[in-house]
Amino acid sequence: MRLQSVMHMRNVISLQDVSFRFPDDEMPVFEHVNFDVRAGERVVITGPSGCGKSSLLYLLNRLYPENCDGIVSGTVELFEQPASMYVPGEINRRIATVFQDPDSQFCMQTVEEELAFTLENMKVPAAEINARIQKVLKETGLESFRESVIQTLSGGQKQRVATACAWVLEPEILLLDEPLTHLDPVTAQDFVKWLKHLHEKGNLTVIAIDHQVDMWGDFFDREWQMVSGKHLEPALIREPLRSGEVAIDAKELAVEPIVSPAAFTLKKGEIAVLAGPNGSGKSTLIKALCGLKSTGGSVSPERIGYVPQSPEFLFITKSVREELSFGGGSGIDEVLKRLYLDEVSESNPFAVSHGQKRRTAIGAMLCDGRPVITMDEPTAGQDAAALRELENLIIARANEGVTFLIATHDMTFADRIADSLLLLCAGELSGPYLPQTVWKNHELLERHHLLAPSGGESCDQPHESFG
Amino acid sequence: MLKSWKLKEIVLMSLFAVVFGIIYLLFLHVGNIWASLIGPIAYEWLFGIWFIVSIIVMSIIRKPGAAVIPETMAAAIEVMLGNAVGPRLILAGVIQGLGAEAAFAATRYRHFNLGVYMMAGAGAAVFSFVYGYLLGGFAALSTEYVLLMFVIRVMSGAVIAGIGGKYLVDALLATGSLRGYAITKRDAHA
Amino acid sequence: MINRMNPSVKFVMITVSMIAMAFFFNPWTPLVFFMGVVLIQLLFATVSWKTWSLMMLPFLLGAVGYFWTTLVFGNEDSTLGTALSLSFRVLAFSSLSLLFVFTTKPVEFILSLMQQLKLSPKIAYSILVGYQFLPVLKDEFFQIRQAQQLRGVEVPKSPVKRVTAMRHLLIPMLAGAVRKAERTAFAMEARGFTGEGDRDFYRKITIGRADAAGSLLILVLLCGSMAAGWLL
Ligand SMILES: Nc1ncnc2c1ncn2[C@@H]1O[C@H](COP(=O)(O)OP(=O)(O)OP(=O)(O)O)[C@@H](O)[C@H]1O
Ligand SMILES: Nc1ncnc2c1ncn2[C@@H]1O[C@H](COP(=O)(O)OP(=O)(O)OP(=O)(O)O)[C@@H](O)[C@H]1O
Ligand SMILES: [Mg+2]
Ligand SMILES: [Mg+2]
Repeated sequence: MRLQSVMHMRNVISLQDVSFRFPDDEMPVFEHVNFDVRAGERVVITGPSGCGKSSLLYLLNRLYPENCDGIVSGTVELFEQPASMYVPGEINRRIATVFQDPDSQFCMQTVEEELAFTLENMKVPAAEINARIQKVLKETGLESFRESVIQTLSGGQKQRVATACAWVLEPEILLLDEPLTHLDPVTAQDFVKWLKHLHEKGNLTVIAIDHQVDMWGDFFDREWQMVSGKHLEPALIREPLRSGEVAIDAKELAVEPIVSPAAFTLKKGEIAVLAGPNGSGKSTLIKALCGLKSTGGSVSPERIGYVPQSPEFLFITKSVREELSFGGGSGIDEVLKRLYLDEVSESNPFAVSHGQKRRTAIGAMLCDGRPVITMDEPTAGQDAAALRELENLIIARANEGVTFLIATHDMTFADRIADSLLLLCAGELSGPYLPQTVWKNHELLERHHLLAPSGGESCDQPHESFG
Repeated sequence: MLKSWKLKEIVLMSLFAVVFGIIYLLFLHVGNIWASLIGPIAYEWLFGIWFIVSIIVMSIIRKPGAAVIPETMAAAIEVMLGNAVGPRLILAGVIQGLGAEAAFAATRYRHFNLGVYMMAGAGAAVFSFVYGYLLGGFAALSTEYVLLMFVIRVMSGAVIAGIGGKYLVDALLATGSLRGYAITKRDAHA
Repeated sequence: MINRMNPSVKFVMITVSMIAMAFFFNPWTPLVFFMGVVLIQLLFATVSWKTWSLMMLPFLLGAVGYFWTTLVFGNEDSTLGTALSLSFRVLAFSSLSLLFVFTTKPVEFILSLMQQLKLSPKIAYSILVGYQFLPVLKDEFFQIRQAQQLRGVEVPKSPVKRVTAMRHLLIPMLAGAVRKAERTAFAMEARGFTGEGDRDFYRKITIGRADAAGSLLILVLLCGSMAAGWLL
């Protein structure tokens, strides 16, 4: 029904035979793209990492080509006019954008100032600004955040503020770049509901980029594959845990006031997933485990490997090989080969791809002879192929006897690799549980803001909601 | 002048100004402790550190103003952080930045190599010395002592800011994060 | 009252006073000025005196350094008087700076530079971006340091090595700053920011009676201390 009425609407965006390349690259990022969006449509753009989805989005809100001196051919029409006809800033009043990174898309300190900044840009008279701010805060359910300092908010809250800043422009088109990446599953679901609600209120067109369309339920009218996904490598077989040997034993681990005293053990070769709501203390717990936060209690063994969400933070040397040999370990060549790093072994570790950076970090931990490796949100922003590669990497090392503890919001991923789940809620650790028992336990799922992986049951209880 | 700047370049200047503003403040305190023991000359050999952001940002962006503006911004950030040197730092920042800028302007923003960076560091040192001479009342000190201060400061500017700046920029360039800025353009090294 | 002064006016007044101070080599002018500033602070400004003393301390030490340097390395004309003058000057400058720092909100200072002194909005808002990133960058600094300690990077003992070892910290931070800068600039443009000057400010920073009174006060003090220099 809805689709039919959309069919008669005009095109608000129309790309014909568009190619785009960066001035210093020989190869275009994408070529001969044809893409039309009608008013009121809800479209999701998918495609493997690096295929140019974000670049395309930047063409639609006119950040590109000026900002990168990029070279565009073909015609880009926005609201039935060539994009180049609009003066700077003009189109951004009609097309609003929420970017991928919640940490770096704000310019002022508080929510109120940020909204005022946006309205000033639109040349709204100062006398009207207060009323407009009040209105948008009410519509987006953010009234209590008016005075909040943005950088102290959690990732999910920042994403909502960013959406409010886009919404205050009263745009005709909303562009979203992977908005769910850093949200826990329930918060992500709420975000989608809330967006649906906004969409119903006006004739809004929504274009989003995401790797995981399942999370959006039936939100989208259609999916537009920019480039079809890469061929997935076959999944490795997980060997059943054999040894009963304890690899890590944590007692009375606590970081006041964020994490209450917790105790758990993991076996050699076990893969454990740590899950829980945004801000529950997962990253903090992992740091405490690795000795990066002072903690009461004890952890054995002492030297635990750590791969932060930005693996660059670990890098010290000028090449991947040196990075691996930094700890003075042996068998560097073998590890390089096993992690498919031999072709980049002489490259600067900062300059390789994100997946390679993470493998370098893991390699460094393996070469240091650390029997347990913890990882903080390695799945964020990964496409299907990269996820499979990550799964295979973890499974292969676990089969060799390395123990993993991985914090993630991706329950599908958790379901595929985890032997056990550790759950964290407001600093209280529980578990380990068997994944299957957790997926069936509504009470546990609800308390930890989790959703069973698609295929399993989902919970529909009321909870803290958006707007 | 600002017309030719992209917003991302200006924000980059500002974030570099923050990082170096913090470092500047750190060294200001180090310098202060030294200064109480051995007098104002204690600052001199450290002085190059306070010129470094001009050289780093200029070598990345390569447009007129890319030396003065970040140096001034770093000073503004230091003031916003609240320290007892206060508003006069902003004036000092402008003057130091102009000194570095002068060296780049002399090459018409065409040459970016170690020699020019060292010249820029020395230029910042000379400008800042003149300013310090007036405000710090160096006129009351003996000529030899002032000369000694001057030579140490210029050396520090050329070595710490010039060579140190080049070293940091090269390391940053190797990380591959600077694409899209003038420093990575194909003709940048011509 | 000083707290209510317009930051730009205050900034200009303070800069003018400092430049004026630079022409005096007698001990009385800076001393009287210093005491006057402290008095103004006592009477007309709300200031945390504990922090004030703490921040003044290093400059007190610096003043001592100045004092004996001038005594030992001064030129033929300089006397005990000049030595005292230079160290009092350090005190006068520092108290003036603290007066500014303690009575001015950083964000208002930048907004005022933009509204009164016509600083380009592009630059002003970029500085505000940098300012709001401060806590983030600070966090990142500690995270990087912790992560590298985990890898066994040691903090070298010698100060020179310590400075060169800062490279390990600085490079990841600068690389992160480049990325953040681009993303934030894009977000600002996507919100319609073009850097044009014709905005109607939601938060207006005004000039009022407090400014006239404050400026007058500083001017009187300036003249008074100059007079003290001639008379005493
Ligand atoms: N300023 C730039 N200069 C040169 N190349 C760039 C620049 N920005 C991005 N690229 C390259 O262009 C390609 C497309 O990048 P883009 O960010 O659009 O991909 P994406 O599809 O959004 O990926 P992801 O899903 O990982 O976010 C990538 O290979 C990237 O490395
Ligand atoms: N250094 C710190 N000082 C004070 N509070 C902190 C600090 N670090 C984190 N917190 C707080 O501790 C809580 C837990 O943070 P943490 O980063 O561990 O959460 P998380 O579970 O990893 O969340 P997310 O899923 O969003 O990554 C948050 O409320 C956070 O604000
Ligand atoms: Mg992207
Ligand atoms: Mg976390």
